[in-house]
Amino acid sequence: MKLFNKLSITSLLLSLFVLAPAVSAEVVVITNPSNSASLSESDVKRIFLGKMKSFPGGGTILSVNQSAGSDVRKTFDKVALGKSPSQMKAYWSKLVFSGKGNPPKELANDAEVIKLVAENPAVIGYIDAANKTSDVKVVATYK
Amino acid sequence: MALFKKLLLVCCLLFSWQASAAEIDFSGFATIAGGLTLDEDEALAGYDDKFSFDNGSLIALQASSDLGNGWGVTAQLLARGSEQWDMNAEWAYVSYDASDNWRLLFGRQRAPFYMYSDFLDVSYAYHWIEPPSGVYSLPFDVFDGVGSIYSSSMGEFDSTIQLAYGRNRDGAVLVGEERDTDFSEFLSASWTLNRDWLTLRASYARAELVIPFDEFQPLLDGWRGTVTFAGIADDLELSDDSGNFSSFGFIVDRESFLLIGEVTKVDPGDNFFPDQDSYYVTLGKRFGDVLLHVTYGEDEDVSDYTIFANVPAGVDPGLDFLLAQSQGVLASVEEDSSFYTIGLRWEVSSSVAAKFEFTKFEDEQPLLAAEASLFQFALTTVF
Repeated sequence: MKLFNKLSITSLLLSLFVLAPAVSAEVVVITNPSNSASLSESDVKRIFLGKMKSFPGGGTILSVNQSAGSDVRKTFDKVALGKSPSQMKAYWSKLVFSGKGNPPKELANDAEVIKLVAENPAVIGYIDAANKTSDVKVVATYK
Repeated sequence: MALFKKLLLVCCLLFSWQASAAEIDFSGFATIAGGLTLDEDEALAGYDDKFSFDNGSLIALQASSDLGNGWGVTAQLLARGSEQWDMNAEWAYVSYDASDNWRLLFGRQRAPFYMYSDFLDVSYAYHWIEPPSGVYSLPFDVFDGVGSIYSSSMGEFDSTIQLAYGRNRDGAVLVGEERDTDFSEFLSASWTLNRDWLTLRASYARAELVIPFDEFQPLLDGWRGTVTFAGIADDLELSDDSGNFSSFGFIVDRESFLLIGEVTKVDPGDNFFPDQDSYYVTLGKRFGDVLLHVTYGEDEDVSDYTIFANVPAGVDPGLDFLLAQSQGVLASVEEDSSFYTIGLRWEVSSSVAAKFEFTKFEDEQPLLAAEASLFQFALTTVF
């Protein structure tokens, strides 16, 4: 049991070291390759804050989030939206508890985001730049 | 047996509902707040000099379901410590998204008077434990009716126009007692403009007011008995009066700084309630997980004594008595108060914030001059 504890602490520490650099990794916003919309940084911000609900050329936007606490989410919230995790939580609670809106659906990881974006031209998401594939189109890059 | 059958029916309905349609999303929020005033004979915001935990505490559960084709249903059940944790529906509505930008709400919802009205009880969403009570002082904050939320972009600004129409007959505590209030033909409009770090908001609301004050009935009968001055009874009575409310607010939330202000004006119509002018200003600064803030506000409620202008003094003892009594009532509801609050919000964990506040309140109204110092703390969360 003790050994297990030590092991888990060690692995926890290791994972912290391994994961820590990921916080500063590049994050890319992706859409379906068939989506020709060009989006400014301000558009991206408004989309993920639930203020912009259709693409400039028309068509409803379905934005997807990554799970709370994930590094890619933390980086995206900080760099693209300029908010801390608790500020984002406060922001969405204002809308959720007043009937004004709901936060984007949360997906578990980059692969799930890519899969959904590749399937549906309405979907917009973000992933770690290292994981992008040719199934999706990069519309914005954040460092 | 009948009860059992009913329960069985409800269970069956619930099961078939779940099976046929919908996923139900549950969410909620809670505030556990405690506080005490710092001196023996002081009372403020429901607190006295003995520590209490129930006064500002609340917990709420929200269940909502997407019904498809733009329709949805939401219930928010809220229990307050100050109401013995009785659970009440604060929101209960069916929503319809007429378009991407236009949502209609049918049912019980929040009256959009103030900047923080929509999420008044969600303390986690703002920096104070609760918004300043001088401004946030109207006797009702929900209504049953129809609401419309229209959002659009205007150049660089996001605009939200909110309209509401309905009625509230919940009752309210006014002048120290629970009353059967009726706020009918409630109509409100608010307009919010937001751009990045700047938010501007203006709102207007009106309602027909009927609130019986039995203790003033002898006074009203007295004036009506004079015949000549019967009109004064109408000027005092709170029946079929038209009340008006307007407000303006702004938020500057830029980098680590926060500047917030809200000004409100209440004209309750022709009755013994005074016109109320209130405002507050908040300045805050974030240091990592900690937000320090200071708020100053004033509340001035002034009665209109000109309704007695034609009543001759010293002619008739009965008339003098009525006059003195009536002026006493008007004086007793006036207020000339100010307060400041120094507070701190600390993000303890990813969805828990701890808050500490010290408030100094002073009322300089001659009849009820009072002051109080209050210390409060709270744990707030959303889930």
